[in-house]
Amino acid sequence: MRFLARRVAQALLTIGFIVIVNFVLFRAMPGSPERILARNPNVSPAAIQQTRERWGIDKPLIPEQLVAYLVATAQGDLGFSFSSRGRPVTEVIAGRLGPTLLLFGLGEVIAIVVGLGLGAYTGWRRGGPVDLVGNGVSLVLYSMPYFLLGMILLLVFASTLHWLPTFGMTTLGRTYDSALAYLGDLAAHLVLPVATVALGLIGQYSILMRSSIIETLNDEYITTARAKGIPSGRILRAHALPNALLPAVSLIAINLGYVVAGAITVEVVFNWPGLGTLTIEALSARDYPVLQGVFLALSISVVLANLFADLIYGRLDPRVRS
Amino acid sequence: MRSPVQRRTLRPLAAAGLVAALLLPAALPATAQTADDHILRVGTDQEFSGLNPWQAVYVVDYEVFTLNYDLLVGYDQNLGFTEGFATSWTTTPDGKTTTFKIRPGMKWSDGQPATAEDARYTYQLVLDAIDKEVTLGSGYIDGYLSSAGLAAVSAPDPETLVVETKTPTSLLLPAYVPILPKHIWEGHSLDQIANPEADGFFKNDPPVVGTGPYTAVEFDPGKFIRFARNPNYWGKQGGADEVIIQHFESNDTMVQALRNGEIDYARGIGADAFDSLAGQPNIVTVEGFANGYSYLTFNGYTKPIKGGGASTKAVADPAFRDALGWAVDLPVLVDKVLAGHGTPGTSLIPPFHSNWYVPPAPNVQRSFDLTKADQKLVAAGYKLDSSGKRLDKEGKPITLAMTWPASESELATAAQFISEWWGQLGITVEAGVTEDDTLLADLTPPEYDPPGLAKFDVYMWGWVGDVDPTSLLQPFTTDEIGGSSDTFYSNPRFDELFVKQGQTTDPAERKAMLQEMQELFYRDLPNIPLYYDSELHAYRTDRFTGWQSQPPGTGTPLFGFGPIGYTQLTLASAAAPSASATASEGASSSATPAPAPVDDASSAAGLSSALLAAILALVAVAVVGLFIVRRRRDSGTTTPKPTEDE
Repeated sequence: MRFLARRVAQALLTIGFIVIVNFVLFRAMPGSPERILARNPNVSPAAIQQTRERWGIDKPLIPEQLVAYLVATAQGDLGFSFSSRGRPVTEVIAGRLGPTLLLFGLGEVIAIVVGLGLGAYTGWRRGGPVDLVGNGVSLVLYSMPYFLLGMILLLVFASTLHWLPTFGMTTLGRTYDSALAYLGDLAAHLVLPVATVALGLIGQYSILMRSSIIETLNDEYITTARAKGIPSGRILRAHALPNALLPAVSLIAINLGYVVAGAITVEVVFNWPGLGTLTIEALSARDYPVLQGVFLALSISVVLANLFADLIYGRLDPRVRS
Repeated sequence: MRSPVQRRTLRPLAAAGLVAALLLPAALPATAQTADDHILRVGTDQEFSGLNPWQAVYVVDYEVFTLNYDLLVGYDQNLGFTEGFATSWTTTPDGKTTTFKIRPGMKWSDGQPATAEDARYTYQLVLDAIDKEVTLGSGYIDGYLSSAGLAAVSAPDPETLVVETKTPTSLLLPAYVPILPKHIWEGHSLDQIANPEADGFFKNDPPVVGTGPYTAVEFDPGKFIRFARNPNYWGKQGGADEVIIQHFESNDTMVQALRNGEIDYARGIGADAFDSLAGQPNIVTVEGFANGYSYLTFNGYTKPIKGGGASTKAVADPAFRDALGWAVDLPVLVDKVLAGHGTPGTSLIPPFHSNWYVPPAPNVQRSFDLTKADQKLVAAGYKLDSSGKRLDKEGKPITLAMTWPASESELATAAQFISEWWGQLGITVEAGVTEDDTLLADLTPPEYDPPGLAKFDVYMWGWVGDVDPTSLLQPFTTDEIGGSSDTFYSNPRFDELFVKQGQTTDPAERKAMLQEMQELFYRDLPNIPLYYDSELHAYRTDRFTGWQSQPPGTGTPLFGFGPIGYTQLTLASAAAPSASATASEGASSSATPAPAPVDDASSAAGLSSALLAAILALVAVAVVGLFIVRRRRDSGTTTPKPTEDE
């Protein structure tokens, strides 16, 4: 219990630190957002001054702006998007969270099952034909950027074979007779982006799992188990896998935190309306409040994933807790 | 040893993976079925600012509100005035009072009568904003009427609108202001309409009530806006029953979607992708003039600024700028920066404005001639020193800092070429990109509030125009120093002409004034217009036909002025008369514009996400169960072989 409390306290402290850094980072950026109004010949200086007051950027940075920012953030008020008029940042981000979670949730699950399975098998049967092919493919997938992989899949399966749709979550303007028809359309749109995410992660996971299994199999307790005549499949499942999984758990948990970051290129390639596309949109529109919100969400998810990894690790390996 | 880990983590994961594997192939046949052929799908590179027209910023926002609403005066195929919310108009001889006749019997899309009172309400809203010195939203739309000198507006009867301006004006008729339904908008305060952060800000959520040919019935921020045919539209109905405008963050994806027939029109295509579309079946590419230009600005601020200003007085000298104008090979820039998709720059009014654009006379037009540039520099007093460096009049070697905003990355290529050319004249150019906001701050002169330092030598960016050229002229007037001016150009004659051209109502007279302004500009060269980049669009012809560019030859079919591009479209399958078109005509008796499909779609979406969760859970349970049963059987019956490993 003390272990848990300590970890949670650490995580909270980190998040608090991130909130402050977020403030400093975006205020330290040179220039001021209202100056873009000066490029519009129709806007009067009085109006620019009003905008400045509205955004509170006419007040001193410390303490007024910092205090106002901390209070607002604590209340979950991240301000308004500059480019999406009249919509709070929290609403903008919330609207994009679902598609990202769906895409990366599915991608992760597939990657974990296939990647770890493949890694365990190739490590177990090292030097076999599956190992040779699987390890080679994993290396290629691991080193390939997401957008390239995504573009290849898109060109082959959408543009050439016309098996799957090119973009978005559903077909534009389509009305559905039944929920099942909607689900089918959604699933069809999911295949390529999920495959891109999964393929990219499978390479990573299987390489790690393979080396982890190989290392574990060299341990003396495995030799002991063999000497006791335990069947080899059981050695793998009951003896080698639990220990070999430890490094994989950390990697996967940290990866969960980077879901948003990794999402950027995959989502943009498939015009998937998630947080990744939102980040690029906010960057190109210089929508600082939204960018700040995305940064915050991203940092918090990394911290939470790390916390999660620590807790899982603590369960898997009791030595960590002491 | 037991293996709790394995059982607890691996199995549910495996199950979920299996579920996904099961679900996905089952979904495949669904794509073969295409959706309604009567929907026009339009892809754009720009994101939506929303449905409140006062918040419009981008071209796509303008497109959205001109589908929803009418302007008082519309635009025809040749960008001439035609009927809009008003059917005719007359101006008194003093040019200060214009009377508009509003179409009798016109209805809003919700069935309410649309009268002169709605137009009066809309113009009065702008007047209120002007009186209170606030901008209405982003400040673009209301600016048209404040520039026109709007003074008073009244609606003596439902078919008459009288608009008075402070001076005679040429800017009232082209004012790009959507006429809004008073009965929808009057319940909201000026602040709730203008300020997107106000309590109760009016987002104008769908279904939007308008008099345009299509009205928005669904808005999914960040994705698309869906429009349904306005059953009460007064004009010619387009062939599409619905219009969907979809935003694409990736240009490549938008082009692939067009090739694959998932959209019918694409706006804002990159040069490479555009070239790859040529000759594709059922696809037509359109290269139109953009209403804007990219330029290289000299810091023309003439007074000294303590700790700021340009590094040399030379950039404020028209003779120096003239000489450098001979040292920029514009056709090469078009070729290298725009892959040939553009026109070399000459005037501050782009050739898009075919009525107003005047190219320089042949005897004054500059070409690329480094010898001549050198002669002109020497004649103006800028000599070379013994080491080949060009000296300014203070005897200091000229080193120009050249920059451009990070958002316009293609200008880096232009900078490379210009640095090279000017380098041959002995002028050192230090080129480097600047983040947009930093650059805006650097450009700010002491006249701005708070005062800036105008600390730059030369920089590149672009201007985008309105349907009227006034906003492209304004940044070069003396009054704008401290406002939109980035050249700090000041010429009393130019200022005088600027005021006069906005007040004359005789097009020929105005053209003569604009010609003189363009000549002054070209002579003094406050900035070098580098090029007019092309608008690169493409459309498919297999679902819709009747695509016509506005204006013909130099414009584009959509994203022009007014909704004419949409209303001219007909179904490619016109042989079979559209069943749903008749359906929507039948629906015109009902008060609202076909909201039914929206409800269907959204309820389906809500229902299905719950259903999806339920199905996933069920299948997961089933698979886990199977998995456990199978494993028990496995370990009971089979004897694993020893591995060959080690």
